Amino acid sequence: MIEEIVRRGVKAGAKYGVSEIEVYAVRRVDTDIVGTVNGIERISTGQRISVGVRVSVGKKVTVQGGFVSKVEDVDSIVETAVKIARTLPDDPQWVSLPRKLGKTHVEGVLDPRIKNPELEQFLEIARHLLSRAKEIDRRAFTSTVSIGMATVERAIGNNYGEIQLDESTEFDTFINVKAVEGGEESGYYDSYVAPTLHRYDPEQLVARATEVAVKTLGAKRIETGTYELVLIPRVFAGVLQSLIVPAICADSVQKGRSPLKGKEGSQVLSEGVTIVDDGTYPGLTGTKGFDDEGVPTKRKVVFGKGVLEGFLYDSYTASVEGKVSTGNAFRPTSFATPSPWISNVIVEPGKGELTDLVREVRRGIVVYSTIGEWLSNPVSGLLNATVTNAVYVENGEERFPVRGVVISGNIYELLKQPGLTLSGTLESFSRFMLPAIHIPQVTLAGK
Amino acid sequence: MVTTELAHQVLEEALKRGAESAVVRLQERTYESVVYDTGVLRSYSVSRVVGLGIRALVGSGAGYAYTTSLDKDSIVGAIERAISIARVAGKYGRKVFAPVKPVKDVYKVEVKVDPFNIEPKAKVDLVRDVNTNSLKREGIVSAVTRMGLERDRRVIVTSEGSEIEVDVVGVGVAHMAVARYGATIERVGDRESYIGGYEYIERKDWNAFAEEIDRLALKAVRARTPPPGTYVAIVDNEVVGLLLHEAFGHASEGDGVVAGASILKGRVGEKVASELVTVVDAGLVEGGYPVPYDDEGVPKRKTTIVEKGVLKGYLTSRDSAHELGIEPTGNARAQDITFDILVRQTNYYAEPGDWKVEELFDGVSFGIYLRGRGAMGGQVNPSVGTYTFSIGPSYIIKNGEPSELVRGVVVSGNILETLKEVDAVARDLKITTSVFGGCGKGGQTVRVGDGGPHLRTRRIIVGGG
Repeated sequence: MIEEIVRRGVKAGAKYGVSEIEVYAVRRVDTDIVGTVNGIERISTGQRISVGVRVSVGKKVTVQGGFVSKVEDVDSIVETAVKIARTLPDDPQWVSLPRKLGKTHVEGVLDPRIKNPELEQFLEIARHLLSRAKEIDRRAFTSTVSIGMATVERAIGNNYGEIQLDESTEFDTFINVKAVEGGEESGYYDSYVAPTLHRYDPEQLVARATEVAVKTLGAKRIETGTYELVLIPRVFAGVLQSLIVPAICADSVQKGRSPLKGKEGSQVLSEGVTIVDDGTYPGLTGTKGFDDEGVPTKRKVVFGKGVLEGFLYDSYTASVEGKVSTGNAFRPTSFATPSPWISNVIVEPGKGELTDLVREVRRGIVVYSTIGEWLSNPVSGLLNATVTNAVYVENGEERFPVRGVVISGNIYELLKQPGLTLSGTLESFSRFMLPAIHIPQVTLAGK
Repeated sequence: MVTTELAHQVLEEALKRGAESAVVRLQERTYESVVYDTGVLRSYSVSRVVGLGIRALVGSGAGYAYTTSLDKDSIVGAIERAISIARVAGKYGRKVFAPVKPVKDVYKVEVKVDPFNIEPKAKVDLVRDVNTNSLKREGIVSAVTRMGLERDRRVIVTSEGSEIEVDVVGVGVAHMAVARYGATIERVGDRESYIGGYEYIERKDWNAFAEEIDRLALKAVRARTPPPGTYVAIVDNEVVGLLLHEAFGHASEGDGVVAGASILKGRVGEKVASELVTVVDAGLVEGGYPVPYDDEGVPKRKTTIVEKGVLKGYLTSRDSAHELGIEPTGNARAQDITFDILVRQTNYYAEPGDWKVEELFDGVSFGIYLRGRGAMGGQVNPSVGTYTFSIGPSYIIKNGEPSELVRGVVVSGNILETLKEVDAVARDLKITTSVFGGCGKGGQTVRVGDGGPHLRTRRIIVGGG
C-alpha cells in the first residue's frame, strides 16, 4: 500500500504542476506490553500509515502530511501542499530534492520473531523479568517492565528517482529495578533497544539492573570539588547525543549554532577519540539502506583521532555548501521536514575492560546513570548531568554509592584532556556502539 | 469522521463481539508550524492525525488497539485485536477499573479567529519579520522563530454511558536567539502560547517579545557560569512550575505509585514540604492547558496533592485508582490514539502565599534568583526522588538584590528535601502552557500547564560550567 501511495502522490504532483515532489510513506505495526509488580498491566497494538509530502514550486517549498486511511488520501495532501507552496516566499538556498535515490545493503535489521510475534512468548519474558530481580537479591524487586516491538515499512520516491523500499523491525525492553533496605531506597533503569533480538539477553538485563540498584542503596552526595569520572557506555552515549551530535549536524553549523563551526581539520577531542557515523553498521537502531530522503547511507569518520573531519548533511544543507548529502536526512515523524541527524554513532575502542578503567581511578566516581544530560547546551558545549546511580572509588576500589551530584563542564575541554582513556569493549545502545570512558578531571557539584 | 455517532457504532460492535466493557477514543489533531531559521523560511508544514482507539475489557483482562484507517474492515480489525489481547491479558494479570458516574458533555475552547483560516502569507510574514529583525541586532548570529497552531478534537464514548467531546485550539510563537561574544556563543529561547484562536497572535507585539529574548542572549553570552554549590534561591513563577512538575508531579502519578516506582508511595499523611506549600492539579485553570475530561472520559477535578506541606493524595486513572483504593482523579491521558493511557499531570501548580515578591529578597545576603526565561525543561527519577532541570540566565543575589547575571544554570535536588526548605511563598500566581512541547513519559508527550507563585528555598544545588 505504501508504495502505491508514493507512486500516486508523485503522479498527482505532476498533475498540479509542481517543480518537484517527494512522497514519503511509512506503515508501522506496534505491539507493546507493560508490566508492574501487579503483573501485566497493559497490552496494546495497532497499525498506522503516515505520509509526508514535500513539494517545491520554483524555490517555494512546503511539507504537508499526516496519518492516512487509504491510498487516495494522498491526493488531498498533495493538493493542499501545492496550494500553500504557491503562497510562500522563495527559499533562496533551495536547490533541489535529491536527484539520485538508492540503497546500500545492510544487515541485522529484520527479525521474523518480532515481525510475527508470539505474544505469549513475550508475555512470559515480561513475567520472568518481573519476578526475577527478587530471586537474584531479596532486597530488590522489579517495579516496571515494558516490551515494545514494531515492524516498519518505508517507501520514498520523488520525481527524479526510483521508489526505494525497505522493511525493518524494532524491539525494546525497559526495566526498572528498585532496592529497599533499612529505610534506604534506590532504583535502576536498564534497557535493550535494537532492531533484532540478536543481542537480547533478558537475564543479563535484569541481573545488571538488580546489581546496580542494590549496590547504590544508601547513596549520598559527596563534597563539591574536582574528581575523576568514569561513564559506562550508555551514559557516555547520553552525553554524546546531547552535546556532540547536535554540533556535528550541518544545519547547526551553517546557522552558527555549533561550537565546531570553522574547526574542520582541528584537533577538537583527545587523540584517543575516533567517532564514526555509520548507517550501514549491522544491527543498530539507525541501520538503514537509505536515509529519510532516499539517499544511500554510508560510513564516514567525523572525528579521526580527535581531529574534526566533517559534518553530517542532508540534501538541503549539502547543496548550501555545494556538497552531496552524506545520507543523514532524518525526519522525527514521517511528515516532518527532513534535517541532518546521526544514523549510528560508533566510537572506536581503547583497551581493557570497564573494571580496568575503574582500577586506574585514584579519587572519582563511576557513573551508571544520569538524568537531565539531554538538557545540556550544545550551542555553548556546557554539560550538566545529574547523577542518579554512581559509586565513589578511591585508589581503584569502590567505596560507597553516590547520587544527586551534578556533573558540569565544557564537553570539548572534558574530551580533550590528556590522560583520557576508553575501554576496549563496546556496548550497543540504540543508535550507539561505544566503550566506557575515563575522564581525568571533572567538576562535581554536591554538598 | 470523528463523531460521537461513529464512536457509538464502534462501541456497540465491540460489545457485540465479546467485550464486557469498552472505552472508544476518536481523535483528529491538526498542527501547523511555520519556522524561520536565520532569515530563511525553513519549514511550513501542516500535519493531520486522525484515528480511533479502543480499550476492551474481557473477564479480568484489558486490551488496547488502534487504527488510523477508518474503513469498516480496519475498525473491525482493531476491535477484534483489542478483544483478543484482552483475553490473553487476563491470563497474566487482573485488571479492575474503578467505577465512575457516566457523564455527557461537550467542551469547546472559544475561538474568535480560526487560525487555520488565516492566509499562509500572513503567518509567514509575521514570523519572517520577527526573525529578520532579530538578526539586525548586533551580536545576534542566529535566530529561529516559529509559530505553532493546533487544534485537537477528541471524542470519548464508554460502555458506562459517558459521551465526551473536547475541542481545544491553541496558538503560540517561540523565538530562540544565539549571541556571540568573542569565542563564546550562547542561546536563549522563550515561547508564549495561548488557548484560543489567532486573535491572541494578532494582539501581541511579537517583535518586542523577541527583542527581550535577544537582549537577554546578548547579556548572557558575556556572563560567567555560577560557581557550583548549594544556594539560597528565589524561584520565579516558571521555575516553580518546572520544580513542582519534576519534583512532585511525576512522583505523584498513581501508576508509578502502584508499581512501587515512586518515592511518594505510602507517604500520604506525611510531611513532604514546608507548611507554606500547597500543590494542586487542576484541569481548567487560567493560563493552563484545558483538560476538562481525561481520555477515559472521567472529569478532571481539582486534586490537592500537598496541603500545607502534607501529602494528601495521588493522581489517578481508573485502574490505578482501584489499586490505590481512591477515586479516579481524571488524569488518564494519552498523546494520541496510537497510545493507551498513562497517568499524567494536567495543570500542576502551587497555590499562592501572602508575601510580596520583593519581600522574598529581604535578608538574603548571598543567593541566586532562578529565572525561567530560557529554561529547557527538566527530568526526574521518581523512584529515588532525584530531579534536575535546566533554567534560564539567572541572577546572583547579593545583599538582598539581584546583581550579576549568570548563564548555564542547572539545579538539582531530592523530592523529599527541596520543598521542606521553602520559607516564603509570594502571592503572584502565574500558570502557563505551550503548543510547542509538553511533558514526556513512556514515549508519549502531552500538553500540560504549570507554574505557581515566586517562592524562596533555603537550599538548592546549582551546577554550572
